[in-house]
Amino acid sequence: MSYAYLFKYIIIGDTGVGKSCLLLQFTDKRFQPVHDLTIGVEFGARMITIDGKQIKLQIWDTAGQEAFRSITRSYYRGAAGALLVYDITRRETFNHLTTWLEDARQHSNSNMVIMLIGNKSDLDSRREVKKEEGEAFAREHGLVFMETSARTAANVEEAFINTAKEIYEKIQEGVFDINNEANGIKIGQQHSPTNPSLPGSGGAAGAANSGCC
Amino acid sequence: MEFLKSGIKTVLGGTEPGQQPSAAETVEKLVDRVYSSTLLEDRRDACRALKALSRKYRIEVGAQGMPPLVQVLQNDGQDAEIIGYALDTLCNIVTSEEFDEEADNPTVSVNVGEQFTEMFIKTPENVTLVMGYLDEYDFRVRRAAIQLITSLIANKTRELQDLVLVSPMGVSKLMDLLTDSREVIRNDVLLLLIELTKGNSNIQKIVAFENAFDRLFDIVREEGCSDGGIVVEDCLILLLNLLKNNSSNQQFFKEGSYIQKLAPMFVLGQDVEEAGWSPQKVSNFHCLLQVVRALVTPSNQQQVVTACQRVMQKSQLLHALCEILMSSGVPADILTETINAVAEVIRGERDNQDELSRVMAPSNPPRPAIVVLLMSMINEKQLLALRCAVLYCFECFLYRNSEGQRAVVQTLLPSSASDVSSLSTGQLLCTGLFSADALANWFSAVALMHSLVENVALKEELLRVLLATPGGHRPITLLEQCTNLMQQERYRLQSKVGLLMLLSLWLAHCPGAVKALLETQGTMAYLTAQLCSNEHDEREFLVQGMCAFLMGLCIQFNDNSLPQQRREDISQLIIKRIGQETFCNKLAEVSRHEAYSRACKQAQIRAKSAGELLLDYEYCKLYKGLEALIAKLVSGFDVDGIELTELTLSSEASALVSQYKGIIRGMDGQIQALQQTTKELEQENTDLKEKLSEEQSLRAQISDQNTLLKAQLGATNGQASNHTPNDQTVSPAQPPLPAAAVPAASEEDLNAARYQANMYFAENIRLTKELETLRQQLVTEKQRSDATEAALKATQKDQEDLLELLADQEAKLTRHEDNILLRGEEETQTKSSGSSECPSSGGDAAIELSASR
Repeated sequence: MSYAYLFKYIIIGDTGVGKSCLLLQFTDKRFQPVHDLTIGVEFGARMITIDGKQIKLQIWDTAGQEAFRSITRSYYRGAAGALLVYDITRRETFNHLTTWLEDARQHSNSNMVIMLIGNKSDLDSRREVKKEEGEAFAREHGLVFMETSARTAANVEEAFINTAKEIYEKIQEGVFDINNEANGIKIGQQHSPTNPSLPGSGGAAGAANSGCC
Repeated sequence: MEFLKSGIKTVLGGTEPGQQPSAAETVEKLVDRVYSSTLLEDRRDACRALKALSRKYRIEVGAQGMPPLVQVLQNDGQDAEIIGYALDTLCNIVTSEEFDEEADNPTVSVNVGEQFTEMFIKTPENVTLVMGYLDEYDFRVRRAAIQLITSLIANKTRELQDLVLVSPMGVSKLMDLLTDSREVIRNDVLLLLIELTKGNSNIQKIVAFENAFDRLFDIVREEGCSDGGIVVEDCLILLLNLLKNNSSNQQFFKEGSYIQKLAPMFVLGQDVEEAGWSPQKVSNFHCLLQVVRALVTPSNQQQVVTACQRVMQKSQLLHALCEILMSSGVPADILTETINAVAEVIRGERDNQDELSRVMAPSNPPRPAIVVLLMSMINEKQLLALRCAVLYCFECFLYRNSEGQRAVVQTLLPSSASDVSSLSTGQLLCTGLFSADALANWFSAVALMHSLVENVALKEELLRVLLATPGGHRPITLLEQCTNLMQQERYRLQSKVGLLMLLSLWLAHCPGAVKALLETQGTMAYLTAQLCSNEHDEREFLVQGMCAFLMGLCIQFNDNSLPQQRREDISQLIIKRIGQETFCNKLAEVSRHEAYSRACKQAQIRAKSAGELLLDYEYCKLYKGLEALIAKLVSGFDVDGIELTELTLSSEASALVSQYKGIIRGMDGQIQALQQTTKELEQENTDLKEKLSEEQSLRAQISDQNTLLKAQLGATNGQASNHTPNDQTVSPAQPPLPAAAVPAASEEDLNAARYQANMYFAENIRLTKELETLRQQLVTEKQRSDATEAALKATQKDQEDLLELLADQEAKLTRHEDNILLRGEEETQTKSSGSSECPSSGGDAAIELSASR
């Protein structure tokens, strides 16, 4: 499958906030009610369309447990986008956001787009964190905010796609150095090399693949 | 210090002149200098000397040198040269490699490097320190650091992996080195990463996340793909490490379209056939094939396997592999591995299986590739590994491929025998089955067995296969021939095991085959004899166990259609001739045999020697599923006959039982539903009865009212008729007459209705269902009573009219009386000619008259 761009995402946040469920809902369109602890990191992928362009999302879903923190830190640097997830029914997962954000900012490249996600919006009766609080936190730290439900799939697509839109806009503005793959962005073979925003050398290397051997 | 020391030595006599100082002493001296010299040059020289000594006197340098070397690393970071020496020395100490220089040193044990590694990493900061020097761009430092870390990982993999994981951005830093423009560095990093990624899926994932697949493909392409040197092999080994048993990375590899990048590497150019295969190319190609297999091996997650298989077909990778199969000059081990790879790429995936079945070999006449492969399998002269690979490939071709299975069996059936000219798969398998080569027998039996797996219809079909016998005797069935062969003394153990597996799988779940086997001559006697025999050879045990299993299947899947060979008969045979205990012990022999655990491990057939080939994966699966059942079945018998517990039932019987269970369950449901309906009906019934009594009371009220009205009417009528005679003279044509006729008619109607109602009421008691009719009747009755009421009202009105009339009449009467009185007075006045004389007497008369009224 050819694509114009490939973005690498990571999903971070406390254990049990529904990171794996968000990914499963996004890639497989299904919900898994049983909490299956993620060991280390799991991979998922899906193609989306933005501005008429095919964009491949490669998503690394990380373990929320403290024990895996040193492992998951290795993923910040190479990601173009991060979904920082908390659970609206558990106040402490919201309280830990600052730590997560510091960690992410410290280890990631400065242009990484971070989307704040308040998950489990279907459990409104058990809500402990108001939507306004999430919005305020996001405003304060310059994040995009959204409440989602991996169970009902509400806003799940939007969360992933809006993050991609944000990255895409940054590319258009020339903020991202797209030739540095360490930024978590790759240019596909589909992309026209005449695009003025491209220096045109390294990124198009993929196009020459076929002639090996 | 040095001066002092030498001074002391001279004073004490120390070393005699002419005698060389021992290695330990030299090292001690050098270590001392590293510690205490204030001049960097001195320390550097000492380090250089230590490095030189470390190859020959590893123990001495290692035992004393480690702390000062670490100190150098901590303090002399700005001097690349001394750091380079220190790292090199440490590397020499901890490496597991044995140096030529120390070959004659008896004190160097095999794992000395490992012991020094352990000492070094006891302080985790040491590792962090060395990792830090990876950032140093200087060639000497960076390379030495890489080599030291590589040696450390090689010796203490687990510990080092953990240390690298917790060191901040450790893995990412190492991955960055892969882009170092200096090839030597890049190649050394490859070796480091190979060690680092061994068996640690977390590190494997991070390495993959850091674009390892792209980097590796770039390097492989730069180095000339499979024609490249050892660096290509290193890249492929690393790739293999990243993919093996790591489903997340496998998925990433597939999603990242790397299979498509892999595919062109399998296309053999024209030049290969001319230039031949260099040893390096063989190694590279071997690794490439391993990478393919790592993605689709049966032990992987099924969904990953299927997804990868599909991409491999679409990207022409499978096509390229098939091309290699059919091209000439391919080295045997590459060919073998290619067959294994094709096997796993097609396993259970129909499109891929079909693609293989369409491949034609460039022979004359052209034959299907599968036929050519099978020819190699039954060819005694072929390599064992190749023959095993072909069998594996054939098994994978038949796996979940009922069409493929059918095609094989079809070639054996009489109808298709017309096409004698071309060799068919079935014919080849029969040839192999009856050849003199025991291995060919085994391979063919297993191959044929796989064409029956999970396909009862084909088991029945295969029963129809007839074989021509030499000498023009009557043709015999394939099954009969198999049992005959099994009983022959000269038939070797491996062949017997093969046949027993084929027969077992054939009989399982197929009563027709059980019947056919029981009808053959001497088979049961042979099996009984095997089970009774007292051979104490481990291999004999296996055959006995398999015979027990076969016999068990004859009971389990027996449909009792042979009068002398029913389930009870065979069980009696076991009880009386073999004994239940013995039978079960022998049955258990199969799973106790080492061949069993070996075969259970994986679907692929692996054998170092031909003798190892005994049991097959599918047979073990069947055995595992049925062993407990048969053991329970046999031990459940009693002397008088079969004890029918549910477990001892044959599959038909248990199917029947479960069928009946289903029926009973259905009936139970029905009964409950019916009970529910009954309850509802009863409820309805009570409701209706209640309604009925209500209606009845209503009706009684109405009829009471009716009676009342009638009584009233009667009274009114009486009044009316009382005064009518008085009126006769005045108004004989007045309306009271019709008023009296209306109540009479309604009374008649009412009586009829009452009768009818009574009748319906009686009926209702008998048949509550006809209540509706009654209710309707009641309604009509009500209507009627309404009508009656209306009539009554009319009558009342009439009555009132009559009363009025009566009053009128009375008034008239008074007037008349007055008139009469008046006339009487006039008459008296005319008689007495003076009317005013006696008015009082006239008045008295009037009073009298009125009183008489």
